[in-house]
Amino acid sequence: MIFSTELIKGTLKTIVLKLLNDNDKMYGYEITQRVKELTGDRIQITEGALYPTLHALEKDGLVTTQIEYMGKRQRKYYTISKSGKTKTKEKLVELVEFMETMTFLLDLKTKTI
Amino acid sequence: MYCISDEQVEYIFNDIRRHGVEMEDLQYNLLDHICCIIEHNLEDGDDFESFYQQTIRQFYKNELKEIEEETINLLTFKNYYAMKKLMIISGASAAIILLIGSLFKLAHWPGAGVLFVTGMVLFSLIFLPLLFVLKTKEAGSARDKVVLTTGTLVGILYCLSALFLVMHWPGARIMQFSTLILSFFVLLPLYFFNGIRKPEARLNTIITTIILVGVLGVQFLMTPVHKSSEPQQATVKEVKK
Repeated sequence: MIFSTELIKGTLKTIVLKLLNDNDKMYGYEITQRVKELTGDRIQITEGALYPTLHALEKDGLVTTQIEYMGKRQRKYYTISKSGKTKTKEKLVELVEFMETMTFLLDLKTKTI
Repeated sequence: MYCISDEQVEYIFNDIRRHGVEMEDLQYNLLDHICCIIEHNLEDGDDFESFYQQTIRQFYKNELKEIEEETINLLTFKNYYAMKKLMIISGASAAIILLIGSLFKLAHWPGAGVLFVTGMVLFSLIFLPLLFVLKTKEAGSARDKVVLTTGTLVGILYCLSALFLVMHWPGARIMQFSTLILSFFVLLPLYFFNGIRKPEARLNTIITTIILVGVLGVQFLMTPVHKSSEPQQATVKEVKK
């Protein structure tokens, strides 16, 4: 099963931050491929969602960037910043709590039905 | 791994721009991304152009530009709360200043003029434009945006004409008259025909339109169309949007 874009959208920031937190530096395509590999194709990040998020993270100072010139192409590498690392921890705690609440909420619902 | 040529890179780059993506940063991001996909998935001898067209099509729902719109949305979202705060502060202080100004004017105390000018400028040039920007973000269709734009223009013009009238500045009458014309012949039809299409807003639209016609009629009655030597009656009202 491939998860819907709606489900992924709310957690995309956390996913990207965590990946950058665990890796030295990454570029857009690499991020999408890594997520695909790690989840066995179940989570596929769309370009339409990834780049706006990366730009927002950059603007917020959560990631720093470095440009590599390759002929007519430019590759932008993203590295997590110090504030990004703190944010990652916050986001992860939030997401874990959210998942626990959801499990509880949905379990409860199935019991009552 | 497919080896992508400089001409092909340029072709992709131009195509991204042709699709309306204007942010340079995003152009290069997308360019590199597409190049990577092509390099990893295209076999030698495969048709580059058709593969590229298939790939780019997966990037968006309606048009490629939406990636840029989403980026801008995310980038400006941070200012959203600050703008909202400023809107509320400017609106509230404008209302208070105008109220105090009216009191000063009634009592013939000095400083009424300054208070009026400050209040009106704050209201029409800060509060209303901010309200417009924030409302257009929520507006769904292009038609809603047109109605909002005209509404804001009329609102600003109305406030300024009231200010000009009270301050006895030149051009007040023309301004007042053009506000009425614009409201009646442009804003009202736009508002009516836009609202009547939506089943959930139909009744409200009809009622508001009737009220607006009435208010505009009264306003028109109070507008001196012919030149007279009598001093103009000044009325200050805020447009309730």
